[in-house]
Amino acid sequence: MAILNPFMFRPGSSSLHCLDTRCKFFLVCMMSLAILNASFPACFICLVILFFFLKQIRLPMGHTVKHLRYFILLLVFIILARGMAIPGESLFAFHGVTISAQGLYQGALVALRFFLVMVTGLLFSATTRSASLKNAAQWYLKPIPFVPEKRVAVMISLALGFLPLILQQAEETRNAIHSRCGNLEKNPVKRFTRLTLPLLKKTFLSADHLILAMEARCYGEDRTDPEFEPSGREAIFIIAGLGFWLCSLFLESCI
Amino acid sequence: MAIPLLEIKHLTHSYPDGNSGIFDISFSVSKQDFIILAGQNGSGKTTLIRHLNGLLRPSKGEIRLHGKNILKDLTLTRKTIGMVFQDADTQIVGDTVFDEVAFGPENLNLERSLINRKVTQILDQLDLIGLKDRNPATLSGGEKRKLAIAGILAMDPEIIIFDEPFANLDYPGTQSLLTLIFDLNKRGQTIIMATHDVETLLNCASRLLIMADGQLVEDGSIAGLLGKLESHGIKEPCTCKITASPPPWRS
Repeated sequence: MAILNPFMFRPGSSSLHCLDTRCKFFLVCMMSLAILNASFPACFICLVILFFFLKQIRLPMGHTVKHLRYFILLLVFIILARGMAIPGESLFAFHGVTISAQGLYQGALVALRFFLVMVTGLLFSATTRSASLKNAAQWYLKPIPFVPEKRVAVMISLALGFLPLILQQAEETRNAIHSRCGNLEKNPVKRFTRLTLPLLKKTFLSADHLILAMEARCYGEDRTDPEFEPSGREAIFIIAGLGFWLCSLFLESCI
Repeated sequence: MAIPLLEIKHLTHSYPDGNSGIFDISFSVSKQDFIILAGQNGSGKTTLIRHLNGLLRPSKGEIRLHGKNILKDLTLTRKTIGMVFQDADTQIVGDTVFDEVAFGPENLNLERSLINRKVTQILDQLDLIGLKDRNPATLSGGEKRKLAIAGILAMDPEIIIFDEPFANLDYPGTQSLLTLIFDLNKRGQTIIMATHDVETLLNCASRLLIMADGQLVEDGSIAGLLGKLESHGIKEPCTCKITASPPPWRS
Protein backbone atom coordinates (compact mmCIF):
# COMPACT_ATOMS: atom_id res chain seq x y z
CA MET A 1 0.00 0.00 0.00
CA ALA A 2 1.44 3.38 -1.00
CA ILE A 3 1.73 6.37 1.34
CA LEU A 4 0.15 9.44 -0.23
CA ASN A 5 2.55 12.26 -0.83
CA PRO A 6 1.24 15.62 0.42
CA PHE A 7 0.44 16.90 -3.08
CA MET A 8 -1.87 13.97 -3.90
CA PHE A 9 -5.61 14.39 -3.59
CA ARG A 10 -6.93 13.24 -0.21
CA PRO A 11 -10.66 12.62 -0.09
CA GLY A 12 -12.39 14.40 2.78
CA SER A 13 -15.29 16.57 3.83
CA SER A 14 -13.49 19.73 4.99
CA SER A 15 -14.71 23.16 3.89
CA LEU A 16 -11.94 23.26 1.27
CA HIS A 17 -12.94 19.85 -0.09
CA CYS A 18 -16.54 20.98 -0.41
CA LEU A 19 -15.74 24.33 -2.01
CA ASP A 20 -16.57 24.71 -5.72
CA THR A 21 -13.35 24.16 -7.71
CA ARG A 22 -13.92 27.35 -9.76
CA CYS A 23 -13.97 29.32 -6.52
CA LYS A 24 -10.85 27.52 -5.21
CA PHE A 25 -9.08 28.21 -8.51
CA PHE A 26 -9.92 31.91 -8.25
CA LEU A 27 -8.88 32.06 -4.60
CA VAL A 28 -5.52 30.37 -5.26
CA CYS A 29 -4.72 32.86 -8.01
CA MET A 30 -5.84 35.82 -5.88
CA MET A 31 -4.02 34.65 -2.73
CA SER A 32 -0.81 33.93 -4.66
CA LEU A 33 -0.81 37.44 -6.13
CA ALA A 34 -1.58 38.96 -2.74
CA ILE A 35 1.18 36.94 -1.04
CA LEU A 36 3.81 37.97 -3.60
CA ASN A 37 3.47 41.60 -2.45
CA ALA A 38 2.62 40.97 1.20
CA SER A 39 4.58 42.45 4.11
CA PHE A 40 5.67 40.41 7.17
CA PRO A 41 2.49 41.01 9.25
CA ALA A 42 0.25 40.06 6.28
CA CYS A 43 2.39 36.97 5.67
CA PHE A 44 1.95 35.90 9.31
CA ILE A 45 -1.84 36.36 9.09
CA CYS A 46 -1.82 34.26 5.93
CA LEU A 47 0.39 31.63 7.61
CA VAL A 48 -2.10 31.29 10.47
CA ILE A 49 -5.03 30.93 8.04
CA LEU A 50 -3.22 28.35 5.92
CA PHE A 51 -2.10 26.43 9.01
CA PHE A 52 -5.73 26.28 10.13
CA PHE A 53 -6.74 24.75 6.78
CA LEU A 54 -3.79 22.34 6.89
CA LYS A 55 -5.06 21.10 10.26
CA GLN A 56 -8.60 20.95 8.93
CA ILE A 57 -7.72 18.69 5.97
CA ARG A 58 -5.69 16.51 8.36
CA LEU A 59 -2.49 16.53 6.40
CA PRO A 60 0.16 14.74 8.51
CA MET A 61 2.59 17.55 9.38
CA GLY A 62 5.71 15.45 10.00
CA HIS A 63 5.25 13.57 6.75
CA THR A 64 4.65 16.84 4.87
CA VAL A 65 7.74 18.52 6.30
CA LYS A 66 9.78 15.44 5.40
CA HIS A 67 8.57 15.67 1.79
CA LEU A 68 9.31 19.37 1.66
CA ARG A 69 12.79 19.14 3.21
CA TYR A 70 14.63 20.05 -0.01
CA PHE A 71 12.27 22.96 -0.59
CA ILE A 72 12.89 24.16 2.97
CA LEU A 73 16.65 23.84 2.36
CA LEU A 74 16.23 25.99 -0.73
CA LEU A 75 14.43 28.61 1.36
CA VAL A 76 17.29 28.59 3.90
CA PHE A 77 19.72 29.05 1.01
CA ILE A 78 17.64 32.02 -0.26
CA ILE A 79 17.74 33.63 3.20
CA LEU A 80 21.52 33.20 3.48
CA ALA A 81 22.15 34.35 -0.09
CA ARG A 82 20.08 37.48 0.47
CA GLY A 83 21.80 38.04 3.79
CA MET A 84 25.19 38.03 2.06
CA ALA A 85 24.15 39.95 -1.03
CA ILE A 86 22.25 42.88 0.50
CA PRO A 87 24.44 45.47 2.25
CA GLY A 88 23.47 46.77 5.68
CA GLU A 89 24.18 46.46 9.38
CA SER A 90 26.59 43.55 9.82
CA LEU A 91 25.35 40.72 12.01
CA PHE A 92 28.07 38.18 11.30
CA ALA A 93 31.39 38.34 9.52
CA PHE A 94 33.74 35.47 8.70
CA HIS A 95 36.72 35.58 6.28
CA GLY A 96 35.30 38.58 4.42
CA VAL A 97 31.77 37.15 4.16
CA THR A 98 29.27 39.43 5.88
CA ILE A 99 25.65 38.70 6.65
CA SER A 100 23.57 41.84 7.07
CA ALA A 101 20.41 42.27 9.18
CA GLN A 102 18.63 43.97 6.27
CA GLY A 103 19.60 41.12 3.98
CA LEU A 104 18.35 38.49 6.41
CA TYR A 105 15.08 40.40 6.79
CA GLN A 106 14.61 40.63 3.02
CA GLY A 107 15.58 36.99 2.56
CA ALA A 108 13.20 35.80 5.27
CA LEU A 109 10.38 37.78 3.66
CA VAL A 110 11.03 36.32 0.21
CA ALA A 111 11.36 32.81 1.66
CA LEU A 112 8.15 33.17 3.65
CA ARG A 113 6.29 34.37 0.55
CA PHE A 114 7.56 31.38 -1.45
CA PHE A 115 6.60 29.07 1.39
CA LEU A 116 3.08 30.51 1.60
CA VAL A 117 2.53 30.23 -2.16
CA MET A 118 3.70 26.62 -1.99
CA VAL A 119 1.36 25.81 0.94
CA THR A 120 -1.54 27.46 -0.92
CA GLY A 121 -0.82 25.21 -3.91
CA LEU A 122 -0.49 22.20 -1.62
CA LEU A 123 -3.89 22.88 -0.04
CA PHE A 124 -5.39 23.23 -3.49
CA SER A 125 -3.92 20.01 -4.91
CA ALA A 126 -4.67 17.97 -1.76
CA THR A 127 -8.35 18.96 -1.77
CA THR A 128 -9.13 19.06 -5.49
CA ARG A 129 -9.84 16.09 -7.72
CA SER A 130 -8.06 16.30 -11.09
CA ALA A 131 -11.42 15.80 -12.85
CA SER A 132 -12.88 18.86 -11.07
CA LEU A 133 -9.74 20.85 -11.83
CA LYS A 134 -10.06 20.00 -15.51
CA ASN A 135 -13.68 21.06 -15.41
CA ALA A 136 -12.87 24.38 -13.74
CA ALA A 137 -10.03 25.16 -16.17
CA GLN A 138 -12.38 24.37 -19.05
CA TRP A 139 -15.01 26.71 -17.56
CA TYR A 140 -12.54 29.60 -17.28
CA LEU A 141 -11.10 29.05 -20.75
CA LYS A 142 -14.43 28.69 -22.56
CA PRO A 143 -15.09 32.41 -23.15
CA ILE A 144 -11.59 32.95 -24.61
CA PRO A 145 -11.76 32.74 -28.42
CA PHE A 146 -9.44 30.43 -30.39
CA VAL A 147 -8.45 28.49 -27.27
CA PRO A 148 -9.29 24.75 -27.46
CA GLU A 149 -10.50 24.76 -23.86
CA LYS A 150 -11.17 21.03 -23.58
CA ARG A 151 -7.71 20.12 -24.85
CA VAL A 152 -5.95 22.65 -22.64
CA ALA A 153 -7.97 21.55 -19.60
CA VAL A 154 -7.07 17.90 -20.25
CA MET A 155 -3.39 18.84 -20.51
CA ILE A 156 -3.52 20.76 -17.22
CA SER A 157 -5.28 17.97 -15.37
CA LEU A 158 -2.93 15.31 -16.79
CA ALA A 159 0.16 17.35 -15.91
CA LEU A 160 -1.06 17.93 -12.36
CA GLY A 161 -2.23 14.34 -12.05
CA PHE A 162 1.15 13.10 -13.22
CA LEU A 163 3.21 15.25 -10.84
CA PRO A 164 2.51 13.17 -7.69
CA LEU A 165 3.25 10.02 -9.69
CA ILE A 166 6.65 11.42 -10.68
CA LEU A 167 7.38 12.33 -7.04
CA GLN A 168 6.41 8.81 -5.97
CA GLN A 169 8.64 7.29 -8.63
CA ALA A 170 11.50 9.57 -7.61
CA GLU A 171 11.13 8.26 -4.04
CA GLU A 172 11.12 4.64 -5.26
CA THR A 173 14.17 5.22 -7.46
CA ARG A 174 16.00 6.92 -4.58
CA ASN A 175 15.18 3.99 -2.29
CA ALA A 176 16.43 1.53 -4.93
CA ILE A 177 19.69 3.49 -5.21
CA HIS A 178 20.12 3.71 -1.42
CA SER A 179 19.43 -0.01 -1.01
CA ARG A 180 22.57 -0.61 -3.07
CA CYS A 181 24.61 1.94 -1.09
CA GLY A 182 24.29 4.59 -3.82
CA ASN A 183 24.11 7.21 -1.07
CA LEU A 184 27.83 6.66 -0.42
CA GLU A 185 28.63 8.30 -3.76
CA LYS A 186 30.17 11.69 -3.02
CA ASN A 187 30.20 13.13 -6.56
CA PRO A 188 26.97 15.23 -6.82
CA VAL A 189 26.88 15.01 -10.65
CA LYS A 190 27.02 11.21 -10.51
CA ARG A 191 24.38 11.17 -7.77
CA PHE A 192 22.16 13.42 -9.85
CA THR A 193 22.47 11.40 -13.06
CA ARG A 194 21.98 8.11 -11.21
CA LEU A 195 18.65 9.40 -9.95
CA THR A 196 17.39 11.35 -12.94
CA LEU A 197 18.15 8.98 -15.81
CA PRO A 198 16.19 5.99 -14.44
CA LEU A 199 13.49 8.39 -13.23
CA LEU A 200 13.07 9.91 -16.69
CA LYS A 201 12.95 6.45 -18.27
CA LYS A 202 10.37 5.31 -15.72
CA THR A 203 8.30 8.45 -16.19
CA PHE A 204 8.15 8.10 -19.97
CA LEU A 205 7.23 4.41 -19.65
CA SER A 206 4.47 5.21 -17.14
CA ALA A 207 3.18 7.93 -19.46
CA ASP A 208 3.06 5.40 -22.31
CA HIS A 209 1.16 2.90 -20.14
CA LEU A 210 -1.22 5.58 -18.92
CA ILE A 211 -2.02 6.64 -22.49
CA LEU A 212 -2.70 3.02 -23.48
CA ALA A 213 -4.95 2.48 -20.45
CA MET A 214 -6.88 5.67 -21.17
CA GLU A 215 -7.21 4.83 -24.86
CA ALA A 216 -8.43 1.33 -23.97
CA ARG A 217 -11.30 2.97 -22.08
CA CYS A 218 -12.34 5.23 -24.98
CA TYR A 219 -10.79 8.42 -23.59
CA GLY A 220 -11.47 11.49 -25.73
CA GLU A 221 -12.29 15.17 -25.46
CA ASP A 222 -16.02 14.66 -25.77
CA ARG A 223 -16.90 13.09 -22.45
CA THR A 224 -19.30 13.59 -19.56
CA ASP A 225 -17.82 16.28 -17.35
CA PRO A 226 -18.19 16.14 -13.58
CA GLU A 227 -20.85 18.49 -12.29
CA PHE A 228 -19.95 21.53 -10.21
CA GLU A 229 -21.20 21.12 -6.67
CA PRO A 230 -21.19 24.51 -4.91
CA SER A 231 -21.24 24.20 -1.13
CA GLY A 232 -22.97 27.56 -0.59
CA ARG A 233 -19.91 28.99 1.21
CA GLU A 234 -18.20 30.26 -1.95
CA ALA A 235 -19.28 33.88 -1.42
CA ILE A 236 -17.91 33.85 2.15
CA PHE A 237 -14.56 32.52 0.97
CA ILE A 238 -14.29 35.05 -1.86
CA ILE A 239 -15.17 37.95 0.48
CA ALA A 240 -12.61 36.67 3.01
CA GLY A 241 -9.99 36.37 0.23
CA LEU A 242 -10.66 39.91 -0.96
CA GLY A 243 -10.55 41.04 2.66
CA PHE A 244 -7.10 39.49 3.06
CA TRP A 245 -5.88 41.17 -0.11
CA LEU A 246 -7.11 44.60 1.02
CA CYS A 247 -5.68 43.99 4.49
CA SER A 248 -2.28 43.08 3.01
CA LEU A 249 -2.34 46.23 0.84
CA PHE A 250 -3.22 48.33 3.90
CA LEU A 251 -0.45 46.76 6.03
CA GLU A 252 2.03 47.31 3.23
CA SER A 253 1.10 50.99 2.96
CA CYS A 254 1.51 51.37 6.74
CA ILE A 255 5.10 50.05 6.68
CA MET B 1 -23.71 -20.83 -39.50
CA ALA B 2 -23.67 -18.47 -36.46
CA ILE B 3 -21.18 -15.61 -36.52
CA PRO B 4 -18.59 -16.02 -33.73
CA LEU B 5 -18.40 -13.28 -31.13
CA LEU B 6 -14.79 -12.54 -32.00
CA GLU B 7 -12.84 -13.79 -34.96
CA ILE B 8 -9.11 -13.31 -35.46
CA LYS B 9 -7.98 -13.95 -39.02
CA HIS B 10 -4.34 -14.29 -40.06
CA LEU B 11 -3.25 -11.57 -37.65
CA THR B 12 0.34 -10.45 -38.12
CA HIS B 13 2.17 -7.61 -36.44
CA SER B 14 5.78 -6.61 -36.79
CA TYR B 15 7.30 -3.80 -34.75
CA PRO B 16 9.13 -1.06 -36.69
CA ASP B 17 12.36 -1.70 -34.72
CA GLY B 18 12.41 -5.29 -35.97
CA ASN B 19 11.41 -6.77 -32.63
CA SER B 20 9.42 -9.97 -32.79
CA GLY B 21 5.68 -9.48 -33.11
CA ILE B 22 3.01 -12.04 -33.91
CA PHE B 23 2.62 -14.04 -37.09
CA ASP B 24 -0.46 -15.39 -38.85
CA ILE B 25 -2.67 -15.95 -35.82
CA SER B 26 -6.20 -17.21 -36.39
CA PHE B 27 -8.82 -18.35 -33.88
CA SER B 28 -12.36 -17.49 -32.89
CA VAL B 29 -14.05 -16.82 -29.57
CA SER B 30 -17.64 -17.72 -28.70
CA LYS B 31 -19.89 -16.21 -26.07
CA GLN B 32 -19.05 -17.22 -22.49
CA ASP B 33 -15.76 -18.85 -23.46
CA PHE B 34 -13.06 -18.81 -20.80
CA ILE B 35 -9.79 -18.90 -22.67
CA ILE B 36 -6.28 -19.11 -21.29
CA LEU B 37 -3.67 -17.59 -23.55
CA ALA B 38 -0.46 -19.13 -22.29
CA GLY B 39 3.12 -18.68 -23.36
CA GLN B 40 6.59 -17.81 -22.20
CA ASN B 41 7.61 -14.20 -21.63
CA GLY B 42 8.07 -12.55 -25.01
CA SER B 43 5.91 -15.09 -26.84
CA GLY B 44 3.56 -12.35 -28.12
CA LYS B 45 0.63 -12.64 -25.66
CA THR B 46 0.54 -8.93 -24.79
CA THR B 47 0.94 -7.89 -28.44
CA LEU B 48 -1.98 -10.15 -29.38
CA ILE B 49 -4.34 -8.91 -26.68
CA ARG B 50 -3.52 -5.28 -27.45
CA HIS B 51 -4.76 -5.94 -30.98
CA LEU B 52 -8.03 -7.34 -29.62
CA ASN B 53 -8.75 -3.99 -27.96
CA GLY B 54 -7.67 -1.98 -31.02
CA LEU B 55 -4.62 -0.52 -29.26
CA LEU B 56 -2.33 -1.85 -31.98
CA ARG B 57 -2.98 -1.99 -35.75
CA PRO B 58 -2.11 -5.25 -37.51
CA SER B 59 0.41 -5.36 -40.34
CA LYS B 60 -1.72 -8.07 -41.93
CA GLY B 61 -5.01 -9.81 -41.16
CA GLU B 62 -8.03 -8.55 -39.27
CA ILE B 63 -10.15 -8.99 -36.17
CA ARG B 64 -13.92 -9.17 -36.47
CA LEU B 65 -16.32 -8.49 -33.63
CA HIS B 66 -19.86 -9.70 -34.37
CA GLY B 67 -18.72 -10.03 -37.99
CA LYS B 68 -17.45 -6.44 -38.32
CA ASN B 69 -13.83 -5.28 -38.46
CA ILE B 70 -12.99 -3.83 -35.05
CA LEU B 71 -11.06 -0.92 -36.54
CA LYS B 72 -14.24 0.44 -38.18
CA ASP B 73 -15.63 1.60 -34.82
CA LEU B 74 -12.93 1.70 -32.16
CA THR B 75 -15.21 3.19 -29.48
CA LEU B 76 -17.66 0.30 -29.86
CA THR B 77 -14.73 -2.15 -29.88
CA ARG B 78 -13.27 -0.77 -26.66
CA LYS B 79 -16.67 -0.64 -25.03
CA THR B 80 -17.38 -4.28 -25.99
CA ILE B 81 -13.90 -5.63 -25.31
CA GLY B 82 -12.59 -4.46 -21.95
CA MET B 83 -8.96 -4.85 -21.06
CA VAL B 84 -7.43 -5.20 -17.61
CA PHE B 85 -3.73 -4.36 -17.78
CA GLN B 86 -0.96 -6.25 -16.01
CA ASP B 87 -0.02 -3.28 -13.84
CA ALA B 88 -3.20 -1.99 -12.20
CA ASP B 89 -1.35 1.14 -11.05
CA THR B 90 -0.90 2.42 -14.58
CA GLN B 91 -4.53 1.69 -15.46
CA ILE B 92 -5.95 3.69 -12.55
CA VAL B 93 -6.49 7.34 -13.46
CA GLY B 94 -9.17 8.47 -10.99
CA ASP B 95 -8.53 10.37 -7.76
CA THR B 96 -11.03 8.24 -5.85
CA VAL B 97 -12.34 4.71 -6.27
CA PHE B 98 -15.69 6.14 -7.42
CA ASP B 99 -14.04 8.45 -10.00
CA GLU B 100 -11.94 5.59 -11.31
CA VAL B 101 -14.97 3.40 -12.03
CA ALA B 102 -16.83 6.39 -13.53
CA PHE B 103 -13.95 7.15 -15.93
CA GLY B 104 -15.09 4.68 -18.65
CA PRO B 105 -18.80 5.61 -18.63
CA GLU B 106 -17.81 9.32 -18.68
CA ASN B 107 -15.74 8.65 -21.80
CA LEU B 108 -18.85 7.08 -23.37
CA ASN B 109 -20.64 10.38 -22.70
CA LEU B 110 -23.41 8.77 -20.64
CA GLU B 111 -25.84 10.82 -18.54
CA ARG B 112 -24.45 11.77 -15.11
CA SER B 113 -27.34 10.12 -13.25
CA LEU B 114 -26.85 6.89 -15.22
CA ILE B 115 -23.10 6.96 -14.52
CA ASN B 116 -23.68 7.41 -10.77
CA ARG B 117 -26.19 4.54 -10.72
CA LYS B 118 -23.97 2.23 -12.72
CA VAL B 119 -20.86 2.97 -10.66
CA THR B 120 -22.68 2.42 -7.36
CA GLN B 121 -24.07 -0.88 -8.65
CA ILE B 122 -20.66 -2.15 -9.81
CA LEU B 123 -18.93 -1.09 -6.58
CA ASP B 124 -21.63 -2.85 -4.62
CA GLN B 125 -21.31 -5.98 -6.75
CA LEU B 126 -17.54 -6.11 -6.25
CA ASP B 127 -17.66 -5.30 -2.51
CA LEU B 128 -15.81 -2.02 -3.07
CA ILE B 129 -18.61 0.31 -2.02
CA GLY B 130 -17.01 0.91 1.39
CA LEU B 131 -13.87 2.18 -0.35
CA LYS B 132 -15.59 4.53 -2.79
CA ASP B 133 -14.03 7.72 -1.38
CA ARG B 134 -10.53 6.27 -0.93
CA ASN B 135 -7.59 7.35 -3.06
CA PRO B 136 -6.76 4.28 -5.22
CA ALA B 137 -3.06 4.69 -4.39
CA THR B 138 -3.83 3.60 -0.82
CA LEU B 139 -5.49 0.29 -1.82
CA SER B 140 -3.84 -3.11 -1.56
CA GLY B 141 -2.69 -4.94 -4.70
CA GLY B 142 -5.79 -7.18 -4.72
CA GLU B 143 -8.14 -4.23 -4.22
CA LYS B 144 -6.44 -2.31 -7.04
CA ARG B 145 -6.88 -5.29 -9.37
CA LYS B 146 -10.57 -5.49 -8.37
CA LEU B 147 -10.90 -1.77 -9.00
CA ALA B 148 -9.38 -2.13 -12.46
CA ILE B 149 -11.99 -4.81 -13.21
CA ALA B 150 -14.77 -2.60 -11.82
CA GLY B 151 -13.63 0.18 -14.16
CA ILE B 152 -14.02 -2.19 -17.11
CA LEU B 153 -17.34 -3.70 -15.94
CA ALA B 154 -18.87 -0.21 -15.75
CA MET B 155 -18.60 -0.06 -19.54
CA ASP B 156 -20.75 -3.23 -19.93
CA PRO B 157 -18.24 -5.24 -21.98
CA GLU B 158 -19.08 -8.60 -23.57
CA ILE B 159 -15.47 -9.74 -23.45
CA ILE B 160 -12.91 -9.02 -20.75
CA ILE B 161 -9.24 -9.52 -21.47
CA PHE B 162 -6.82 -9.91 -18.58
CA ASP B 163 -3.07 -9.50 -18.97
CA GLU B 164 -1.32 -11.53 -16.25
CA PRO B 165 -3.97 -10.70 -13.61
CA PHE B 166 -2.33 -12.71 -10.81
CA ALA B 167 1.12 -11.13 -11.15
CA ASN B 168 2.35 -9.81 -7.76
CA LEU B 169 -0.76 -11.01 -5.92
CA ASP B 170 -0.62 -13.04 -2.73
CA TYR B 171 -2.61 -16.28 -2.25
CA PRO B 172 -5.79 -14.73 -0.73
CA GLY B 173 -5.70 -11.97 -3.36
CA THR B 174 -5.39 -14.54 -6.14
CA GLN B 175 -8.23 -16.64 -4.68
CA SER B 176 -10.54 -13.67 -4.35
CA LEU B 177 -9.77 -12.39 -7.85
CA LEU B 178 -10.18 -15.82 -9.39
CA THR B 179 -13.55 -16.30 -7.67
CA LEU B 180 -14.69 -12.94 -9.07
CA ILE B 181 -13.53 -13.76 -12.61
CA PHE B 182 -15.13 -17.20 -12.45
CA ASP B 183 -18.44 -15.65 -11.32
CA LEU B 184 -18.30 -13.11 -14.14
CA ASN B 185 -17.85 -15.95 -16.62
CA LYS B 186 -20.78 -17.88 -15.09
CA ARG B 187 -22.94 -14.76 -15.51
CA GLY B 188 -22.19 -14.66 -19.23
CA GLN B 189 -18.95 -12.68 -19.66
CA THR B 190 -16.42 -14.01 -22.11
CA ILE B 191 -12.97 -14.13 -20.57
CA ILE B 192 -9.58 -14.19 -22.28
CA MET B 193 -6.67 -14.39 -19.91
CA ALA B 194 -3.01 -14.05 -20.86
CA THR B 195 -0.83 -15.85 -18.35
CA HIS B 196 2.10 -18.16 -17.98
CA ASP B 197 0.63 -19.64 -14.82
CA VAL B 198 -1.84 -22.26 -16.02
CA GLU B 199 -2.21 -24.08 -12.71
CA THR B 200 -4.30 -21.34 -11.12
CA LEU B 201 -6.92 -21.54 -13.86
CA LEU B 202 -7.20 -25.29 -14.39
CA ASN B 203 -10.72 -25.60 -13.04
CA CYS B 204 -12.12 -22.43 -14.58
CA ALA B 205 -11.02 -22.25 -18.18
CA SER B 206 -12.68 -24.05 -21.06
CA ARG B 207 -9.96 -23.65 -23.65
CA LEU B 208 -6.21 -23.23 -23.83
CA LEU B 209 -4.26 -21.37 -26.50
CA ILE B 210 -0.48 -21.67 -26.43
CA MET B 211 1.78 -19.11 -28.05
CA ALA B 212 5.46 -19.48 -28.82
CA ASP B 213 7.72 -17.14 -30.80
CA GLY B 214 4.78 -15.00 -31.88
CA GLN B 215 2.79 -17.91 -33.27
CA LEU B 216 -0.27 -19.75 -32.03
CA VAL B 217 1.11 -23.26 -31.69
CA GLU B 218 -1.72 -25.03 -29.85
CA ASP B 219 -5.48 -24.50 -29.53
CA GLY B 220 -7.60 -27.02 -27.67
CA SER B 221 -9.09 -28.23 -24.43
CA ILE B 222 -7.12 -27.90 -21.21
CA ALA B 223 -7.09 -31.62 -20.57
CA GLY B 224 -5.82 -32.34 -24.05
CA LEU B 225 -2.96 -29.85 -23.92
CA LEU B 226 -1.68 -30.24 -20.37
CA GLY B 227 0.95 -32.73 -21.43
CA LYS B 228 2.32 -30.37 -24.08
CA LEU B 229 2.80 -27.35 -21.82
CA GLU B 230 6.40 -27.99 -20.86
CA SER B 231 7.49 -28.51 -24.45
CA HIS B 232 6.49 -24.85 -25.00
CA GLY B 233 8.31 -23.55 -21.93
CA ILE B 234 5.22 -23.35 -19.68
CA LYS B 235 5.29 -25.09 -16.35
CA GLU B 236 2.97 -28.07 -16.18
CA PRO B 237 0.80 -27.81 -13.05
CA CYS B 238 2.41 -29.99 -10.41
CA THR B 239 -1.06 -30.97 -9.17
CA CYS B 240 -1.55 -32.74 -12.52
CA LYS B 241 1.61 -34.70 -11.94
CA ILE B 242 0.49 -35.76 -8.47
CA THR B 243 -3.27 -36.25 -8.76
CA ALA B 244 -5.70 -37.01 -11.55
CA SER B 245 -8.06 -34.16 -10.62
CA PRO B 246 -6.36 -30.96 -9.44
CA PRO B 247 -7.95 -29.15 -6.49
CA PRO B 248 -9.48 -25.74 -7.35
CA TRP B 249 -7.75 -22.44 -6.42
CA ARG B 250 -11.09 -20.70 -6.04
CA SER B 251 -12.21 -20.04 -2.49
